Amino acid sequence: MKRTIFAFLASTVVALPVGAAEFTWAETTDPQTMDPHAVNSTPVLGFLNNVYEGLVRRGKDMSVEPALATDWEPIGDGEGWRFTLREGVTFHDGAEFNADDVIFSYERASDEGSDTRSWFAPISEVVKVDDYTVDFMTSAPNPIFPSSIANWMIMDSGWAEANNATLPDKENGNYATINANGTGAFKVTAREPGLRTELMPHDGWWGDVEHNITKATLTPIQNPATALAALLSGDVDFINPVPIQDVARLQSDPDVNVIQGIEARIIMLGFPHEADALKYSAETSDKNPFADVRVRQAVAHAVNVPAILQTTMRGNAEPASQLVSPAMNGYSEGLSERPAYDPEKAKALLAEAGYPDGFSFGLKCPNNRYLNDEAVCQAITGMLAQVGITATLDAMPVQNYWPELRADNYDMYLLGWSPGTFDAEHPIRFLAATPNEEKKLGSWNFGGFSNARVDELLPMIQSEIDADKRQAMLDETAKILQDEVAYVPLYVQPLVWGTRSNIELTQRPDNFFILRWVTVN
Amino acid sequence: MTDTQTNQAAPPEAVDKSLWQDFRESDFFYAFKRSPVALVSFAVVCILVLSAVFAPLIAPTNPFDPASLNLMNGFTPPLEPNAFTGDAFLMGTDDQGRDVFSTILYGMRISLFVGASAVLFAMVLGITLGLVSGYFGGWTETIIMRVADVQLTFPSILVAMLIFGIAKGFTPVEYRDQMAIWVLILAIGLSDWVQFARVVRGATLVEKSKDYVAAARLIGRSPWAIMLKHILPNALSPVLVIATISLALAIIAEATLSFLGVGAPPTQPSLGTLIRIGQGFLFSGEWWILFFPACTLLALALSVNLLGDWLRDALNPRLR
Repeated sequence: MKRTIFAFLASTVVALPVGAAEFTWAETTDPQTMDPHAVNSTPVLGFLNNVYEGLVRRGKDMSVEPALATDWEPIGDGEGWRFTLREGVTFHDGAEFNADDVIFSYERASDEGSDTRSWFAPISEVVKVDDYTVDFMTSAPNPIFPSSIANWMIMDSGWAEANNATLPDKENGNYATINANGTGAFKVTAREPGLRTELMPHDGWWGDVEHNITKATLTPIQNPATALAALLSGDVDFINPVPIQDVARLQSDPDVNVIQGIEARIIMLGFPHEADALKYSAETSDKNPFADVRVRQAVAHAVNVPAILQTTMRGNAEPASQLVSPAMNGYSEGLSERPAYDPEKAKALLAEAGYPDGFSFGLKCPNNRYLNDEAVCQAITGMLAQVGITATLDAMPVQNYWPELRADNYDMYLLGWSPGTFDAEHPIRFLAATPNEEKKLGSWNFGGFSNARVDELLPMIQSEIDADKRQAMLDETAKILQDEVAYVPLYVQPLVWGTRSNIELTQRPDNFFILRWVTVN
Repeated sequence: MTDTQTNQAAPPEAVDKSLWQDFRESDFFYAFKRSPVALVSFAVVCILVLSAVFAPLIAPTNPFDPASLNLMNGFTPPLEPNAFTGDAFLMGTDDQGRDVFSTILYGMRISLFVGASAVLFAMVLGITLGLVSGYFGGWTETIIMRVADVQLTFPSILVAMLIFGIAKGFTPVEYRDQMAIWVLILAIGLSDWVQFARVVRGATLVEKSKDYVAAARLIGRSPWAIMLKHILPNALSPVLVIATISLALAIIAEATLSFLGVGAPPTQPSLGTLIRIGQGFLFSGEWWILFFPACTLLALALSVNLLGDWLRDALNPRLR
């Protein structure tokens, strides 16, 4: 009896602020790890942006703003950048944040086993000046460095050491794969991979609280129709994405809102440039037809992108001609024309390359990563069959997909790329530069595309301060990538979010869902 | 008088007739003629099976040939011309521009083939194990029947998914699409043999103590000959009933596995795959992608099941 009264009193004392609420949301893909340095992908980094923080962060309009650093300035004549750190910041476990954590996180994130390694390609050395000042020395002037590390998140060195997680482990995972300890506005209080991840506000957060969430729960729902049903019934407050075919119907429903935008993500086809032979050909094959640029051109002409946009995407996406969308900095205006749909030309190119009767190969595709990814791959399979090259389609969930690509188990694959820096240099560094462990380049260039001129241009683009000269070099690179058909860019992925009508939130074009901008009315 | 003479004078003709005549004059056929449920469900099964068998002749397009698809035909409502291509389709098209009617016919072939083969496989396996355990008894019986009991405690769809998952792991990717059908048959068959084994074992236990079996043993017939020639024929009618009902269940199991995305590949959809695809477009109003395959599956499974039900009553002497 006494106990009940006490419990009753306790519950009234900690009365919730007005309008405070619990919030539940569903996404197609579960963030595959809680380790901010292990996997460089939007589901992981987008989610962890709520938990961990970087020195700088992006605001609602994508502009770079101070986070764990209050200020930054170039050192000397472009020799590096000096960051002044925020004082009085604590991690979720109560530990103090200081320069040692920055140095530790730099070493961790630029380690060989880290997927974020190439962010630090321009860095020659990181120096701790005092407890709240750190210098990042660059091998060449690098004007975009501060904005390029907005997703580099700081981890507590003491916590990582105590839990034996000083380095990220992509394959086997470690303590940091299922636990998190950041400085962000929310802390992870429960984590069941693939089922449920629970977040609570971090009481000691340094920033001004805008949200009114007391508890937030993420439940991955792979089937978009099921997620939609959950939204309509009010089981979840927010889903990402809304199946594109249901946008029209949802717009007429007063209980839900549809928030549409254009994502920074380009969906493209990738090739095995370096492979000696096809892996999944039904004929015995000792050749790799995709090494021939004419075959790659044929693929580009065989895919009917307008039909995919019209039918599969229901008119909600724009065709793409380059590795970045027109909204990105450094987009090449003069190269906006994509190869026309022309099956006859594709057949002629194949015949010219020595494949008049076509060939068979294996197409790998994710089935829970991009909007309608499997349907798009199926459509592409049909279109390629019409010009005589027949694909065996193998669609799989994203957690199996990346390892397959890293192990070179594909003859062609589907990839989406969203430049974290919102700049055209980003995909060149990740997708077009010759893979090089030491220089931290080409880490997502699975097919090993390699072009000497592109490799030569990349460092020049990175250090060029004059905007016109930089654009000229970006244009040259884009032209080479188009001429060589390094990839076949297909379309810019649309961004479609759905919420209950009592939810207010901000949609960012990088498809990051930021919890601290959510208000539950 | 004359009639009797003619009949007596022409015995070969009577022999020719006898099987069909026997069947027509049997209680079984009489019961069949008198049961509207049996007649209707038999007719439905016949129509569906025949249209599946002759699908290449009936279907206007071949939906399994990716080169023949036109994506611009996607989402065409039934009997309405497509806004871009002007083509019209009896039951509309799905998201890939496949004609739903043709896809149902071709998909039904997969469903029926997988269902029938899986039942046949389960039947052969179950009969063999049932005969062996009933006839030999002892340790053989204990082991086989305990395995059967354990397997019965798991839902058969779970067992099928487990077998499917393991088998898929061992299949090279380039053959996965072709192998998917055989793996499905194996998975469903292995999850379904217990019913047959139990019934046949029961019948074997009853029959093996009878005098005619003892006689057969005395004249030195081998155990296998006794099992197959003497005991099995007496256990066949319950097996036939179980086989028919199992066929309906196997068709549904295949549809369930494909619906869950672990069965027939999306480029060669079965009825279950079609329903899975259609389910994604239910909210957006493209009802026909789900509706027609679901109705076909319902008609097929229901009529086979009703036929099995009727068969059970007809072959049960106590219910006559």
